[in-house]
Amino acid sequence: MKISYKWLAEFVDVDIDPRSLAEQLTMVGLAVDGIEEIGGDHIIEIDLTSNRPDCLSHLGVAREAGVIMGKPLREAVPAQIDVKGESVSPAAVDVLDPDLCPRYTARVIRGVKVGPSPDWMVRRLEALGQRSINNVADVTNYVLHELGQPLHAFDFNCLAGRRIIVRRAVAGETLITLDGIERVLNDTMLVIADADRAVALAGIMGGADTEITDATVDVLLESAYFNPASVRRTARILGMNTEASYRFERGIDYDIAARASDRAAALIVETAGGEIVGELLDARAQIEARPPITLRLDRFHHLTGLNVGMARAKEIFNALGMEILPLKDDGAVSVKSPSWRIDLAIEEDLIEEIARLEGYDRLVPTLPGGAGAGSYQDDEAARKTLRRTLIATGFHEAISFSFVNGETDAMLSGNHESGLVLTNPVDETQSQMRTTLLGGLLSAVELNINHGTRNIRLFEIGKCFLDDGARPVEIERLALVMTGARNELGWQGAGERLDFYDLKGTIESVGENLGKNSLEFSPTSDIGYLHPGRAAVISLAGNKIGFAGQLHPRIAAHFKFKQPVFAAELDFGAILQVPGLEPRYRPLPKFPTVVRDLSVLVSDAVSWAEIERSILGLNIGELVGVRLFDVYTGSELPAGKRALALSLRYRAEERTLTEQEIGDCHGRVVSMLAREFAAELR
Amino acid sequence: MEAERLEQLRAQFSAEAAGIDSESAASALRDRWTGRKSGLLTAEMKTLGKLSPDVRREFGLQLNALKDEVDGRIAELLSGFGARREAEQLVRERIDVTLPGRRQSSGRLHPITLMRERIEEIFVSMGYTIEDGPEIETDFYNFDALNIPPSHPARSSQDTLYLENGLALRSQTSTVQIHAMQRRRPPLRVIAPGRVYRRDTPDATHNPMFFQVEGLLVDRRVTLGDLKGTLGEFVRRMFGPGTRTRFRPSYFPFTEPSAEVDYSCFKCGGAGCRICKGSGWIELGGSGLVHPNVLRAVAIDPEEFSGFAFGLGIDRMCGLMYDLDDIRLLYENDARFLEQFR
Ligand SMILES: [Zn+2]
Repeated sequence: MKISYKWLAEFVDVDIDPRSLAEQLTMVGLAVDGIEEIGGDHIIEIDLTSNRPDCLSHLGVAREAGVIMGKPLREAVPAQIDVKGESVSPAAVDVLDPDLCPRYTARVIRGVKVGPSPDWMVRRLEALGQRSINNVADVTNYVLHELGQPLHAFDFNCLAGRRIIVRRAVAGETLITLDGIERVLNDTMLVIADADRAVALAGIMGGADTEITDATVDVLLESAYFNPASVRRTARILGMNTEASYRFERGIDYDIAARASDRAAALIVETAGGEIVGELLDARAQIEARPPITLRLDRFHHLTGLNVGMARAKEIFNALGMEILPLKDDGAVSVKSPSWRIDLAIEEDLIEEIARLEGYDRLVPTLPGGAGAGSYQDDEAARKTLRRTLIATGFHEAISFSFVNGETDAMLSGNHESGLVLTNPVDETQSQMRTTLLGGLLSAVELNINHGTRNIRLFEIGKCFLDDGARPVEIERLALVMTGARNELGWQGAGERLDFYDLKGTIESVGENLGKNSLEFSPTSDIGYLHPGRAAVISLAGNKIGFAGQLHPRIAAHFKFKQPVFAAELDFGAILQVPGLEPRYRPLPKFPTVVRDLSVLVSDAVSWAEIERSILGLNIGELVGVRLFDVYTGSELPAGKRALALSLRYRAEERTLTEQEIGDCHGRVVSMLAREFAAELR
Repeated sequence: MEAERLEQLRAQFSAEAAGIDSESAASALRDRWTGRKSGLLTAEMKTLGKLSPDVRREFGLQLNALKDEVDGRIAELLSGFGARREAEQLVRERIDVTLPGRRQSSGRLHPITLMRERIEEIFVSMGYTIEDGPEIETDFYNFDALNIPPSHPARSSQDTLYLENGLALRSQTSTVQIHAMQRRRPPLRVIAPGRVYRRDTPDATHNPMFFQVEGLLVDRRVTLGDLKGTLGEFVRRMFGPGTRTRFRPSYFPFTEPSAEVDYSCFKCGGAGCRICKGSGWIELGGSGLVHPNVLRAVAIDPEEFSGFAFGLGIDRMCGLMYDLDDIRLLYENDARFLEQFR
């Protein structure tokens, strides 16, 4: 909101320069955004918090400035109101819905000559960014900026029956507002009507039919108080926001309607001529009295750490326009807040008033005592380990929006979970809460490839949101995507393309670093988004915790990927739930280990996992390690066969194994392989 | 007679040694003169026994002196050639150390995570416990319990994202205050970092999703001074020991009194620069004493306990710290962006 430095000076004797004033206003809670010099004046831009509608005018800011500088407001000079002729108003006011309009005043001015406003008024309004319209409309805007009371001027002779009826609109009733738009109203909206029809949207905007024009001779001036919630609701439904609605929504000073009407009437007579006819019609409903507020000084001290005496507290309250009520208690003071300070209701509000006017810079910084040790979430160490493992293997951490494209999400949902949909998304194409992290990560891969980054590894840890009927379920997941070369192409050799086993190895490293040694991968062909021959279900301690594999060509085509992309998604919570193994020391071997290699030809339908499991299943105590070191499939091998080369390590804890013993052990392995898998020794 | 012979041998050795031009020739010279079996001097030594004791003694001394000379000279020759051989080998093995190193390409943590970890570390060391809550919330947690009145604009579908089932995406991490106070009774110190959502169209300074850190401390006789001291300590640890804070009165429905907190610009120290838009101050976030209605909503007696709360924007801090010109980059996951942070 914009405030003129010179205009302020009409209300209070400002004895500090604009910069210092701005600084001090900021420090009492009226944050000044900037100062602009316009035509010998300074316009101060204030970013007001929503609790201070009382400062949406020069009068309001002058009150604060007066308190800061310790100066009283100048006595308001009563507006010159010369009522001509009879004292009965030629108009009539009927408020049918006082709950939405607790106060409505109207006054008639006859014989005005509508024309341009005087220069001084045009300059002031324009400095505040308000375009000049005509002398009557300008006066209403001028008084709005001066006193904070929104006003409206009707062409009195256009009002059917010369009466004002304040009522709820009839559903379907229409009104063309001043901006030329036809508004369709409903029965929650308050309108100002004449005998026949709605002529204004209460507190928001006037109607075109009764607008002040060059032909206007008689004016009806409205100065009213409308229910804030009602104005807000109507403005929101109609998508309107005006200087008037902005103030009514936040709550104006109930008591200022008549003063503002007087001031505006006098200004109209001054700038447009004419004469005031009849008394001010003032229809007011009883509004709820606001109860007094009591402040205990020791409570003030307990909450701020500051010490303030009773005299100083009362001085501040007086300066703020509060009425101090008699009270027996020496340590407390009871006040009635002024009509314009609708934000003050409880003791803490008074505490803030004293604290801010004493100055927050007087608060003495202290550290609260008695703290125990702080702590991270239980799984924080595991999370850190996981993140560090992944970045060490070349993965960047990604963070994507939680809302995604619903169709893409469904396509990538391994569990076919149903998603939750936003009613008011920012982007209509991204209106579903994600049920998988892969949508975001694959879009990121797409973006990176489009930007020329073809080697990319990303992971994300974040929540997925599932519609579980009653209450949404939030599941934290971990997802990884990788594509491109295993190593960046460099002088040391060409970058080989990474494959499924790079992804698997990454997940295994994560498992190992978290102490979860029992991760298992078993083939699966029913994850819709993964290649049916290159996908695995991942299990931990017997529970399925996720999937990994190469993207299905159909999905890859959807994202226009021309290179294979590998993806995995795991239930993060499930991983963390399984307790990790703590490292335990085992004595180093005292006797030598003997290595025997073995190369066998087996059917490629036999998985490595089966072979390894069978070898270990022999429970040969001396066999301390099995390692696969080559897998060969070549055209010279019989069709449907592959050659596996393994390295078996033998050792005994208490003695050196003899050739005979090693031979026996090895023989058992070889004959088992031949028996179980028809393996041929090569 | 023996003296003559010695001089003859010495002269002969000098002549031969002078002609040595390789390590192998030096080894052969050693064998020829001092070889255990057939060395010339070895043979001379063997003749000593045949001489009379007087002569033997004299001749023996001189012969040994000659042998020392010969040994010394040969050792000199050998080490000279050895050193040259080593030097040649080292030259042959030279590599171009300016070629790029062979490295495991390393990933990076997201700048939001880096910032969040720094903030968490500071508060945990000050006795706070990290907590979290749901991202999808009921009106009770998102608004009612936070003393946000039904008519408040923040509740509108202009500002808050709603689901078809009527629930909302949390618009501030303050919701965790309520969960934390329901879970545990005071005294408590809580830090809650997390995602929040607002219905903002993305532009260079806005995203519809961003990260906040909420702080809450409830105990007996907690004061505004405690809030000021705590945030002052935080900014000094975060931005440097010389960092100052400024508290300005403000308004939030869930705190009363409320304060906007600024800290002196980490770039210019308060003199005014581009980062702080010339003011010397940077906004840290909103704060205040927990509103008594909020305490009552979780059945804590405001006469017995008081507390403070604050909310910091992690994205904003990232933007300032890393000098980002477009905050949308944070959630696009472009590797060229992500790889810049450590
Ligand atoms: Zn600066």
